[in-house]
Amino acid sequence: MTLGIETKKLKRTGYLPAFLGGGLLAAAFPLVNMLVRSETFVSLPGDPFQILMDANWQMMAMLNILISICGACMMYHTEYADNGAQKMDVLPVRTGNLFLGKFVIAVLVLAAMVAMETAVLAGCALYWFPAYELTMPDLIKQAGFQWFVTLPTVMLMLVIASACKNMWVSLGIGAILVFTLTIFPQDNLVLSLFPFSSPYQLFAVAKQNSSIPLFLGVCAAETVLFGLIELILQKTRRCVA
Amino acid sequence: MNIIETNQLTKSYGDFTAVSRLNLHIRKGSVYGFLGPNGAGKSTTMKMFLGLTRPTEGGFQIDGKTYPGDRVAILKEIGSFIEAPAFYGNLTGEENLDIIRKILGLPKSSVSDALELVGLAPFRKRLAKKYSLGMKQRLGLAGALIGRPPILILDEPTNGLDPVGIHEIRTLIKSLPQQFDCTVLVSSHLLPEVELMADDIGILNHGRLLFEGTLEDLKTSAKTAGFPTDNLEDTFLAMIDEDNRKRGGAR
Repeated sequence: MTLGIETKKLKRTGYLPAFLGGGLLAAAFPLVNMLVRSETFVSLPGDPFQILMDANWQMMAMLNILISICGACMMYHTEYADNGAQKMDVLPVRTGNLFLGKFVIAVLVLAAMVAMETAVLAGCALYWFPAYELTMPDLIKQAGFQWFVTLPTVMLMLVIASACKNMWVSLGIGAILVFTLTIFPQDNLVLSLFPFSSPYQLFAVAKQNSSIPLFLGVCAAETVLFGLIELILQKTRRCVA
Repeated sequence: MNIIETNQLTKSYGDFTAVSRLNLHIRKGSVYGFLGPNGAGKSTTMKMFLGLTRPTEGGFQIDGKTYPGDRVAILKEIGSFIEAPAFYGNLTGEENLDIIRKILGLPKSSVSDALELVGLAPFRKRLAKKYSLGMKQRLGLAGALIGRPPILILDEPTNGLDPVGIHEIRTLIKSLPQQFDCTVLVSSHLLPEVELMADDIGILNHGRLLFEGTLEDLKTSAKTAGFPTDNLEDTFLAMIDEDNRKRGGAR
């Protein structure tokens, strides 16, 4: 029920078109890259899919994060603009469930974006590297990993958006976090585990360093932790209101 | 029998006490008018009933249920309208009420029922953000009335309405206890309005309850204290003035 209600609230907000547009933009990036300078990549040694990931994922991940930030801000702007959130607070529904509903929607549309992007990357690999053989399980693992390491970012951004009644404040915080974490060295394992940094990590590199379980474990823990922080924030808001 | 009772209910923000040791008794099936100047603590009290803010001390019972343990059970019985209309501007009036209907588990017909009740049925398909102030107010009221809850908490429900709208809403509120067997707690700055619709009144000033009882009790008590009794407004102003004087001129 909560998921249906949260989906209905997003009607006419431009939320789904924004994700679709962002997903298409991110997916178009490797395609354009290959169209204009394919010779740079086809001559490189190694796994073609990884060559494409190395060349494009940083930009694609950043677009995914930026769209997730915008999505979280849109979700809560809808809540705060005309006091809808206050109405929800006086109805017999647990506000934690409503937050969870928003998170589920955000991660589902993110999954759709990552799937679209992975499909385009796979298409590029097969088209420009004709001898390349790509298996579906590998592709699913690849997409699943990239999606999973983005979950803490999505959750944290929703927590920030829920805490700020002014959408521009949460948007600003999100943008600052994106660019702050981007300047951190990506080869530092500890820093790469932070939200806003983990989405840039590549499956192949994590596999090579045997750090896949570490990434999955830490990202799961971060996601749960931020979810718990939101529940505490909701209780605190009642006490200080 | 009292459906709402508070026991030494207190809410403080640091040094400032918004509601102080409040003991309210709201009879089942009555319209209770909650009066007080701005900042008297009316909205804070109503917010505590709805779990929007937590009491600092004391507590309250609503239909035998206590906060915070029975918060969700309490909210199932209350329809509310607090301070300003709360809605989703990107949705139509009908869609807004449909969200509330789904949460309350009501039949689909309850949406049109609520829209008819507040006179918004012809504008059901219009986006809520495009409603006039009066229509937004009516939408807020429809959100409170949907499903005909046994308790209604209405904070300044006639704000922004034209005289015709005020008359309609007043008539509606007055008829609710008989029509739907519900109890109404209503706050208003429009004292004549309260006089016309309330069975009991509570007067609050600086978080303290100055008077509670029927309008007849108020007249008797005001006469004894030497306050004017020609109309509620004069009595109210005299009581507030006297209380402010006793408090050392604080307003």
